[in-house]
Amino acid sequence: MTAAPVTPAPPGPGQPEPAAARGGPNPRARRRLMSGWVFFLMAVVAVVMLYPFYYLLDNAFRTQKQFDQQNGHSLSSWTQLFHQLPVGQETLNSLLICVASIVIILIVSTSAGFAFAKLRFRGSGMVFLLVVAALMVPLQSIIIPEYVNLSKVGLINTYLGAILVYAALGTPFATFLMATYYRGISDDLIEAAVMDGLGYERTFLRIALPLSLPAIATVAVLQFIQIWDDLLVALLFLPNPGQRTITFGLAALSAGRTSTIPVLMAGSFVSAVPAIIVYLIFQRYLVRGLTLGMGK
Amino acid sequence: MSRIVLDGITKQYPDGTTAVRSLQLDVGDGELLVLVGPSGCGKTTALRMIAGLEEVTSGTILIDGRPVNDVEPRHRDIAMVFQSYALYPHLSVFDNIAFSLKYRKVAKPEIRRRVEEAARILELEEHLQRKPRQLSGGQRQRVAMGRAIVRQPRAFLMDEPLSNLDAKLRVQMRAEIARLQRALGVTTIYVTHDQTEAMTLGTRVAVLNRGVLQQVAPPQELYRRPANLFVAGFIGSPSMNLLEARLERGDGGADAVFGGHRLRVPAQVMSERPALDGYLGRDLILGIRPENLEDASLLHDPDPESVIELPVELREELGSEVHVHCAVGERSGGAQVETAGAAEAAEALRKVLLVATMDPRTTVKEGEAAKIAVNLAALHFFDPDTGERIGS
Repeated sequence: MTAAPVTPAPPGPGQPEPAAARGGPNPRARRRLMSGWVFFLMAVVAVVMLYPFYYLLDNAFRTQKQFDQQNGHSLSSWTQLFHQLPVGQETLNSLLICVASIVIILIVSTSAGFAFAKLRFRGSGMVFLLVVAALMVPLQSIIIPEYVNLSKVGLINTYLGAILVYAALGTPFATFLMATYYRGISDDLIEAAVMDGLGYERTFLRIALPLSLPAIATVAVLQFIQIWDDLLVALLFLPNPGQRTITFGLAALSAGRTSTIPVLMAGSFVSAVPAIIVYLIFQRYLVRGLTLGMGK
Repeated sequence: MSRIVLDGITKQYPDGTTAVRSLQLDVGDGELLVLVGPSGCGKTTALRMIAGLEEVTSGTILIDGRPVNDVEPRHRDIAMVFQSYALYPHLSVFDNIAFSLKYRKVAKPEIRRRVEEAARILELEEHLQRKPRQLSGGQRQRVAMGRAIVRQPRAFLMDEPLSNLDAKLRVQMRAEIARLQRALGVTTIYVTHDQTEAMTLGTRVAVLNRGVLQQVAPPQELYRRPANLFVAGFIGSPSMNLLEARLERGDGGADAVFGGHRLRVPAQVMSERPALDGYLGRDLILGIRPENLEDASLLHDPDPESVIELPVELREELGSEVHVHCAVGERSGGAQVETAGAAEAAEALRKVLLVATMDPRTTVKEGEAAKIAVNLAALHFFDPDTGERIGS
């Protein structure tokens, strides 16, 4: 038997001609063109998002005169900032309040989320519904009752008051997220630990908690950004200058007559940096945590 | 090692569904009892009740004579192997196996000794430092087994531990589980929906259907003397042929008549099952296992009263044997059909087929009639109303 060279047969009547024969782009070229367009669009979005940061940083290194003329750079706005604002103290205040609030939020949300997801108890569905309903309540509508309540127990002008308010505001979302994450952990795994001799408490600590690190990181980052950037709660519950957070300090600076726009820019940059650093460190977990339940 | 007794246990859910109904079982010390049945028959629920993961609605579970209904799972001293293996993904193989020992405050050198011993038995020594995600399905299954055996529990509970493995590995692991269970001598309750697994593994097999225990017996007993139509149809592959028949008085004995065919019921069968006398002149269900049917042309001098001639509808080659599907009659009733193609399909569905497992040398062909010899001594009879086996 001899092998004959194989030549493609011409398309029969009614059959479509190959794309190359029609003179159109082949699938690979079409894909490349498509990804080029996507890249271009993403680049435009990136420029739109990043330009304000560039503007902020560029003008933070100018004097008011240089800002007006948009010409030249100087460090004087930074020296003015540190002269007018106790940046170190206020950053420390913000950090303390953030960390303490997040610790409370994590303790409550991980244990409550585990209970909602893995334990069977009467009224579980109804209580979870209430937690989800709490997500819908706007901060502004409860801030006055919160103020009245905390003032009655003497927690205005204390770190603890602000920490409790932030923890109360952040816990519903965090509980919802943690419960969703724990629902994704196989019941078999929890039951295996119970059969292995652990009670539900130690199963939570030894099995569920280590497995939920991505969700914990997500909660921590989102809450950090939210609490760090908040102004309303700080304004109401921490009016004492010694306890101000960095956002409160910046607001006070902008309200004053002595500060210039470059000084405000420098202050805004200082206040934004910690949140950006936290985001950059944990963004991998953040994406994983936010896409919970999407796909397999 | 211990004895587990299920004394009429029932599981009813709040919505009224009864998953297990008055289950009565006595699992002896060191025995491997297999719970088998179709999906949703209540076998896993029964296992979970023994483990303490499901509350018992009524009845009592006794381990070594002590009621454990209200005892927490961790205090029952029972190890369970899950269908999904349930390995802790953040721990190494060593830590997975050692996990329960650490929480039982076993001394570290003893933990190491037991884990290494289990790893040696299960051939996991090279993988002790790996994480579960780095293991194959078979290796994960062995880790799950290792986690159970290091505890030296009073009993093992296994919930379809082989169902996630491919067919070849399943056969291999099945043999390993049987070997391990015999070597350790630990009382084991094994749940599966696979009747081959049940028959090959179990010292005794309990067949469940819709939460009700149908029969509990050694594998051969289940195969030879199924207690009712469900067990007859469930145990054996291909399943037993069940035909509507009539028992008639023949010349000097009884004949089973079905679809225009007549089979002589041997006098020995009639004498062994005296209850059959009561069915003379009445309808009953005749059961014939496929392996009790053979191509008559391959037999030396077959009894003419045991041979029936049937049209061959389908021939399936399996290498070591041939499955031959023959039409023996039609079901009563039938679909109303209008188009020509649908009419043919409906006709095929109406036919009552009889499956025969034949020697590969058989020459029967599709579309032709075949002479089939029936092993008359191995006929089964069931009451058409109760579905219960007639006679012993």
